[in-house]
Amino acid sequence: MRILTKTSLYYLLVSVIVFLLGGLSFYKILQTEIYDEVDDQLFTDKENIIEYIRRHNELPSVTSGISEAIIVRETSAGVGALEALSDTLIFSTYDEEYVPFRKLTFTTYQDGKPFEYTILKSLMDFEDLFESTMLAMAWIFVLLLVGLAGVNYFINKYNWRNFYDTLERAKRYSLTQRKPLLLKPTDTQEFQELNEVLQAMTGKIHNDYLNLKEFTENASHEIQTPLAIVSSKLELFMQSDNLTQAQAAMLEEMHASINRLSRLNRSLILLTRIENREFSENEVIPFHELLQEQLDQLHEMMLMHDIQVEIEAMEPVFVEMNIGLCEILISNLLLNAIRHNSTGGIIRISLKAEELCIRNSGEPLQEEPVTLFERFRSGNKLSGSMGIGLALVSKISELYLLTPSYTYEEGLHVLRLKFPKKNS
Amino acid sequence: MKLLIIEDEQALNASMVSYLQAGGYTCDTALNYHEGSRLLSDQHYTCVLIDLTLPGGNGLDLVRLIKKNSPDTGIIIISAKNALDDKITGLELGADDYLTKPFHLSELNARLRSVIRRRNFNGQKVIKIGNLEVFPESAEAHVKGQKLTLTKKEYDLLLYFVTNKNRVLTKDSIAEHLWGDHIENLDSLDFVYTHIKNLRRKLVEAGGEDPITTVYGMGYKFTF
Repeated sequence: MRILTKTSLYYLLVSVIVFLLGGLSFYKILQTEIYDEVDDQLFTDKENIIEYIRRHNELPSVTSGISEAIIVRETSAGVGALEALSDTLIFSTYDEEYVPFRKLTFTTYQDGKPFEYTILKSLMDFEDLFESTMLAMAWIFVLLLVGLAGVNYFINKYNWRNFYDTLERAKRYSLTQRKPLLLKPTDTQEFQELNEVLQAMTGKIHNDYLNLKEFTENASHEIQTPLAIVSSKLELFMQSDNLTQAQAAMLEEMHASINRLSRLNRSLILLTRIENREFSENEVIPFHELLQEQLDQLHEMMLMHDIQVEIEAMEPVFVEMNIGLCEILISNLLLNAIRHNSTGGIIRISLKAEELCIRNSGEPLQEEPVTLFERFRSGNKLSGSMGIGLALVSKISELYLLTPSYTYEEGLHVLRLKFPKKNS
Repeated sequence: MKLLIIEDEQALNASMVSYLQAGGYTCDTALNYHEGSRLLSDQHYTCVLIDLTLPGGNGLDLVRLIKKNSPDTGIIIISAKNALDDKITGLELGADDYLTKPFHLSELNARLRSVIRRRNFNGQKVIKIGNLEVFPESAEAHVKGQKLTLTKKEYDLLLYFVTNKNRVLTKDSIAEHLWGDHIENLDSLDFVYTHIKNLRRKLVEAGGEDPITTVYGMGYKFTF
């Protein structure tokens, strides 16, 4: 959940609770006030009635008070001197509903005879006032709530914008790009600190990365010359006439190892150069023709392993790539399909506008397919591969936004290469 | 035929000289840019081998110099950099070939031969070894005047052997020569064996002797 949504939700939750509690207390206070007021009026009426009786020694006319109704009833003596306040509902024929009344009942004496007075006061007006007040309050609450939540949201959004900017830039940051991570300065202290920490961190990582890369590059290049010397001396040594068989065998092994080292080194240099984007000369290449060419070149090798090639589809596909890299890409994919095949196996090739799919028979993988595209991963140690072929495929794919993937389906290894969507 | 080898690594320079001298070439050597340019202005060479990274200057400048002063001299660039730009620039400037370190001496020899053959129009159009004749221009080979039916690879193999006659050629170098870098770490050695077997059979069937001997397991040697 976004932090903005989160804070807004918390804010709303707290506001609703506060407003509910506030509303409830307000209701209670208002109610108490209204009852006090009504009761006061009832008691004033009572005082007035008693005063009237005392002065005139007769019952007052009903209209003389502020109450809605005064009921007088003769009562038996002895019960009197009672005074009671209560709520009651009386059916109003005019409104056709029960109307709430406040009722004060008391007893007073006229000519020594007890009379029970009941003063009724409609709460209807108060109730109406009460309702409109509550409604107005409710509206004010709701508007305040929405308004505050909105203001809060926009203030937060404004405050966090620098954070989102930083986040976006950090997301887009890639070590392989040569640009440092540039972040907008901000006047929010925490965000400024975050920016500084991020910049310092990526700067350090970037430097380490460059150092490592430089080291690999230099090491690979510096190794070339000594390798050339050893290799050439061995070759000269081999020309000697008086070698024993054991010596010859040793020389052969040394020579083979040096060769292997040379090839490995060459591949590593190639990988580094792809990473350095040294292959900038791109052209539109007929991928299908290159694929066919490579197939022809490897034809012999497939015959040798008794591998059948089935071409399921060969649609014309044009890609914009460096031609050398494209060749390396295709040949590594095909070599991989040959190397990890079984004798008498098959290779099925399907080239379509959206993807190249190469299926080959062979033993299932021993390890996780995701590691396949890493360096020095080879599924089968016996095949003598150094596991750099697919790493090359992966690097070249990365450069040209191709997506390689591996699956094992129906006993076949399936390597797919998705072409990027054309922006037409 | 006179060669100039401009390579700052003494040991590698010596190896090349040793291998090429045994092949009948006369070799001059230079260990830096200035020695190289001095020798180039004094002498005329059939072919020059140039390392691109030299103390005192860039090998590419020497290529320019040779092209200007003696355009008929063959040029092979040897570089540790394997940079595509250098290769393109070098070839554009007029170099005949480009080899990346480390390389097989036998491969260097084969490339050198090929450069000389291409440049030397009046020269030898046929390589004769006993009753075997190889015609590089038409990519044909005859035994006792009779044309051999060879596949492209078999012909390449034969030419490679002939160029490096009396030398031990390792299986690796043969494989790399025939298939290039593509072959990388495939079990290419079996192919080499198959091709050599076929070539031998064709040579023998045509009435020649089997000139290819296996040297301990190290490799093969074309002897005459």
